[in-house]
Amino acid sequence: MTSVLADYFPVLVFGVLAVIIAGAMLGSSLLFGHQKPYAEKVSAYECGFEAFDDARHRFDVRFYLVAILFIIFDLEVAFLFPWAVSLSRIGLFGFLSMMGFLGILTVGFIYEWCKGALDWD
Amino acid sequence: MMTQIVFYVFATVLVLSAGMVVSARNPVHSVLFLILAFFNAAGLFLVAGAEFLAMILVIVYVGAVAVLFLFVVMMLDVRFAQMREGLQRYAPFGAAVGLVLLAELALAFSHWQVAADIASVPHVVAAPGRTNTAALGDVLYTHYVFLFEACGLVLLVAMIGAIVLTLRERPMGRRQNIDRQHERTAADTLAMMTVPLGQGVAANGGFRRPEQSYYIASVPGSYGVTAEPVPQGKPAGAAPADGAPESGHGADNHGGLAQ
Repeated sequence: MTSVLADYFPVLVFGVLAVIIAGAMLGSSLLFGHQKPYAEKVSAYECGFEAFDDARHRFDVRFYLVAILFIIFDLEVAFLFPWAVSLSRIGLFGFLSMMGFLGILTVGFIYEWCKGALDWD
Repeated sequence: MMTQIVFYVFATVLVLSAGMVVSARNPVHSVLFLILAFFNAAGLFLVAGAEFLAMILVIVYVGAVAVLFLFVVMMLDVRFAQMREGLQRYAPFGAAVGLVLLAELALAFSHWQVAADIASVPHVVAAPGRTNTAALGDVLYTHYVFLFEACGLVLLVAMIGAIVLTLRERPMGRRQNIDRQHERTAADTLAMMTVPLGQGVAANGGFRRPEQSYYIASVPGSYGVTAEPVPQGKPAGAAPADGAPESGHGADNHGGLAQ
């Protein structure tokens, strides 16, 4: 399986380059910048008045709903990839099995549309 | 040789970052270490030659599941010091559960035997010349069709369960009825006035509000809107004569103007 790894050598090069560039940006600003922090400078700027509260509020649960719906349709698309690649081999049965899968998820999609889970009022 | 080196690098980083997931002080750092663990698991899949699974691991787990975990962490009202207190109390239980799991895994793997006729099992070896993704697609939608459809059902249950558990009918904002908003014309809402020079706006009835309510195009029952539709067609002469521009500007009476 060395050939598979050899195929991914350009990816490794890209990764190393990304680490080098990001490290150079962060490191050089750390090295060459003037850093004289004091209490006023590092405090949160809140448009003219003191900060009311901590910024770490609890998130609304609707973000979670959006994320989990995203995961489900992400998985649906992930199943479409091998299907599209080997559609010429699996024939009508493979096509119909994917249509059944999509139909099941479309039921859920219609349900969430009608329940208003996609609305963000 | 090269493969072994790559495997051990990925496996070492994977185990170390998995340890950091459970021992990191900040839950957000735990999630970030979890992302690192996912990436290294994808690297292990690549070493094993499963390219499609590696890419799906990155897309689904790093792109979606880790984001979901971040939301979960940020939804919880975490008190970090309070969470550390429980560690001493729960450490024996966690260690006991881990030991039981380890013993069971050791039992299972010590009696694991690969079947002698493994090569005769259908679809265990991909057809020559097929790529990884194509080899998966050849069997997933035909030979394993029941598992595939069951997977769709599991996803459907997850979708409906998430909606049932988290969706609250709690109108937080004012929604617009798009059709009614599009039906409005400028003549419905605005009155053009000729103000004589030198008189000012106060002598002409103050700043004129819209002839109809702002709320006429909003969905009845959404936040701040009364459930019954507002009466339409106020005569233009009934515009408010509040006088002072301060009170005439942007007063939020629901259901119509100047009753």
